[in-house]
Amino acid sequence: MKQQNMFSKKEVSEDKEEKYSLKIEAPIYEPKNKKPFILELYDKSKSSILINQINGSNISSEEKEFLIEAAKRHTVFNYEKIADYYAHASKEVQEFMEQSALVIIDFEKAIQGGYVRLCENIKQQYLEEYQDEE
Amino acid sequence: MKNKDFAVFIISHGRPDNVVTYKTLKKCGYSDRIYYIVDNEDKTIEQYKKNFGDDNVVIFDKKAIADKVDEGNNFDDRKTTTHARNACFEIAEKLDITYFIVLDDDYINFRYRFIDKYTTKGYVKNLDVFFDIMLEYFIKSSFHSIAFAQGGDFIDGESCGLITNYLYISRKCMNSFICSTERPFQFVGQLNEDVNTYVTLGSKGYLFLTVPFIGLEQLQTQGQSGGMTEAYLQFGTYCKSFTTVMMHPSSVKVSMMGFTSKRLHHSIKWKNTIPLIINEKYKK
Repeated sequence: MKQQNMFSKKEVSEDKEEKYSLKIEAPIYEPKNKKPFILELYDKSKSSILINQINGSNISSEEKEFLIEAAKRHTVFNYEKIADYYAHASKEVQEFMEQSALVIIDFEKAIQGGYVRLCENIKQQYLEEYQDEE
Repeated sequence: MKNKDFAVFIISHGRPDNVVTYKTLKKCGYSDRIYYIVDNEDKTIEQYKKNFGDDNVVIFDKKAIADKVDEGNNFDDRKTTTHARNACFEIAEKLDITYFIVLDDDYINFRYRFIDKYTTKGYVKNLDVFFDIMLEYFIKSSFHSIAFAQGGDFIDGESCGLITNYLYISRKCMNSFICSTERPFQFVGQLNEDVNTYVTLGSKGYLFLTVPFIGLEQLQTQGQSGGMTEAYLQFGTYCKSFTTVMMHPSSVKVSMMGFTSKRLHHSIKWKNTIPLIINEKYKK
């Protein structure tokens, strides 16, 4: 899984098997080149089971409606896949995804560029205070 | 500090003679405004005023703030820092302060942690400068809040959880909150309110972040009187951890945490919790 991180140029695996170089980078995600299949973006396993059980019950329609909406809280979204998908989606779909906060756009590198400056400024201050001990 | 539109808010309850954070701020070189945020149900208000001065102690109506918040349970128990944290936004507006950092009252140190490499040496000597540096980033970015790391984040040194577990896509934000009246948000839940907040709001696109370069250190959790200690001892961490699970069941579970005395703790699967930040170049 390719993933920029704050500490390493290396890829970070979910299994945490790789070593880290501790190079600090901004928390920006780099989408993959491949567009994922839409069904990879979310997992309805648990919510579907709950919804099927609710639909098969004899409770009132109002209660069903409420419980079905509540069951959707168990739908699991994969925000890495979602960011990958966004990068390859049409302009219209991208706009809907932005409106729904499925990705965050770092406009003018305010987050990424600012983070580098933050890191450098703190390092500079540290060296001023502890240069003699380095 | 260069930025004069800023103040420190120390939230405290029942510890007027033991606001450790005040001494730590002075030791670490903070020289600007400090306000002590105390609720109207605190029986030691007068002692706070005596110790820190009438003008520096701000009293808020705890019940009134509580009535506006989903406490996440029906205990009708206001032993929580939630309401003090939420009150800070209104208090800042009344004081005509745009930027503020909300701190707990039990910090014993601000220590350098990552400067190119993992380090444990050196406490911060000039917090004025660091608050300015953090503020500059906060103002120019779109974060709703950013925080210093905590001592516990660095257990296990270079292999610590801060790196290996969550930070690479984590946007946790705990304990110390740089905030702005221009970017208000509401803490939720009587217990685990910081986690509830960065999880539930984070999942909707609110931006939170922990900056790993400096870590604050606290007195031992649940080891001193006052504050939240009584609530934690009463409920254990069962209710605390499950509050966040209830609020975001698709990506939060509970797990055991600790070495000698294990306790329940929340476990967040970050890639299923928060939308990721990507470069503008991907936008068509």
